[in-house]
Amino acid sequence: MIDCDVHQTFNRLSDLLPWIDPAYRDYVLHAGFGGFELPNYLTWMHPNGTTRGDAVPPEGGVPGSDYETMREQLLDPLDVEYAILTGEDILSVSSLPNPQVAAAVAAAYNRQLIDEWLPRDSRLKGSLVVATQDAVRAAKEIRTLGGHTDIVQVLLPGAATSGYGHLQYHPIYEAAVETGLPVAMHVGGEGLGINPPPTATGYPIYYIEWHVLLIQCAMSHVVSLVCHGVFEKYPELRVVMIETGVAWLPTLLWRLDTDWKALRSEVPWAKRLPSETVREHMRLTTQPLDEPDSRQELKQALGLVDGLENMLMFATDYPHWDFDRPDLVSRRLPTSWREKVMSENARALYGLPAKPIRAAAAGEGLATS
Amino acid sequence: MSARNVGAEATTERAVALSLSDLPPGASAVVEAFGTMVAVFNVEGRIFAVGNNCPHHGGPLCRGRVSGTHLPSRPHEYRYGREGRVLVCPWHGREFDIESGQALFDPSVRVKVYEARVEDGQIVLTRRRNRSPS
Repeated sequence: MIDCDVHQTFNRLSDLLPWIDPAYRDYVLHAGFGGFELPNYLTWMHPNGTTRGDAVPPEGGVPGSDYETMREQLLDPLDVEYAILTGEDILSVSSLPNPQVAAAVAAAYNRQLIDEWLPRDSRLKGSLVVATQDAVRAAKEIRTLGGHTDIVQVLLPGAATSGYGHLQYHPIYEAAVETGLPVAMHVGGEGLGINPPPTATGYPIYYIEWHVLLIQCAMSHVVSLVCHGVFEKYPELRVVMIETGVAWLPTLLWRLDTDWKALRSEVPWAKRLPSETVREHMRLTTQPLDEPDSRQELKQALGLVDGLENMLMFATDYPHWDFDRPDLVSRRLPTSWREKVMSENARALYGLPAKPIRAAAAGEGLATS
Repeated sequence: MSARNVGAEATTERAVALSLSDLPPGASAVVEAFGTMVAVFNVEGRIFAVGNNCPHHGGPLCRGRVSGTHLPSRPHEYRYGREGRVLVCPWHGREFDIESGQALFDPSVRVKVYEARVEDGQIVLTRRRNRSPS
């Protein structure tokens, strides 16, 4: 199994001090009330806690901050072949008003990820977090660190001041394509800092509203990327939507295809049926996999998008509260989809090595070098 | 007496879970009993025991919080109740009545509960099963 959404993090932002550009050290130490903090989800708080109640490291600290706990709870028992690390609060750098501070903190985070997390375990693969306020600077960071062997993607937050198709973000895509990395968009920063309200009707009151409607950002980005012709401009670009599940996709694509047939002359650079473009260029992680009353209903929903079996990639979202168990997800997928979704789609996208053929698995026909 | 017990033989199995001194008020533990894992709680001196795996995705209920909850109420009004009787799964937050095992969102969903009492300082679990005559 390849887990495409595993949250590792630092305990305190000051843990990143050894990697911070000295020009920002005093800011991190002394800004605000006794030290700089990232905007966080103190606005919409999960009433029972955002992370799994059993994921607090035994020695203390925040869930996801301790490698040994992650190994004992996730990597070893769930037989994780690779874990794609996606950070945690760090995605909120793009919610900060100050683009220089945002870029400096993201840069420190990336270097700590490369120095302290990735060398610990060959199963860990990293996502390069860039601040979106200054896409030219973000592109420079991608070109600087994107070639690292264990960095497998560029990571942007789901929240943004405009759809990700807008021209201002294109330097990020150009650099990602140049370094051969997919760009992932992961829930993060919705309604925080400089970002717009998290829903199209403004600020919700309750966490449940906020959480259910997080998919609005993902939907907006899919439409934006297609209508702005991003995949026409960067044909090699692959975009991954993480932590927003999947069942919202079929009807969005129906609507987008239908409208495109009438309105294509407004966006003539969008040359193909939008659903075809999305199928070729986009991937989605499964979690939180929707839970209708019956497995049959889920299979029907998944069957509504042609080729979805080549787009979906499994994710647990460890150690978040809405964590998905791989055995339960696998069982709910059509049999012929399981190998692709649980590992092979991610392996192909991220260029991860083929599974070595073991004696017991020799008959499974997995390619090997 | 219910009709379904006519002609049936009730069997009772007992298992010593752990010493009460190892489970002070507010504490929880997981023990092996009756061939399965059981979560045991001391809620202000009262002992409760439930199957350890959440019926949703198998979250470890022994790590769950025991608290009260917001009772169904009129819109925009919070009413707190069932204090010390609601077990919250540490994974997906599903709530169960710690005494009956019934899920608060749907009473037909339940986690297995065991009778628990203290005998000579030991917490003893009981499982009752009705066995049809052979």
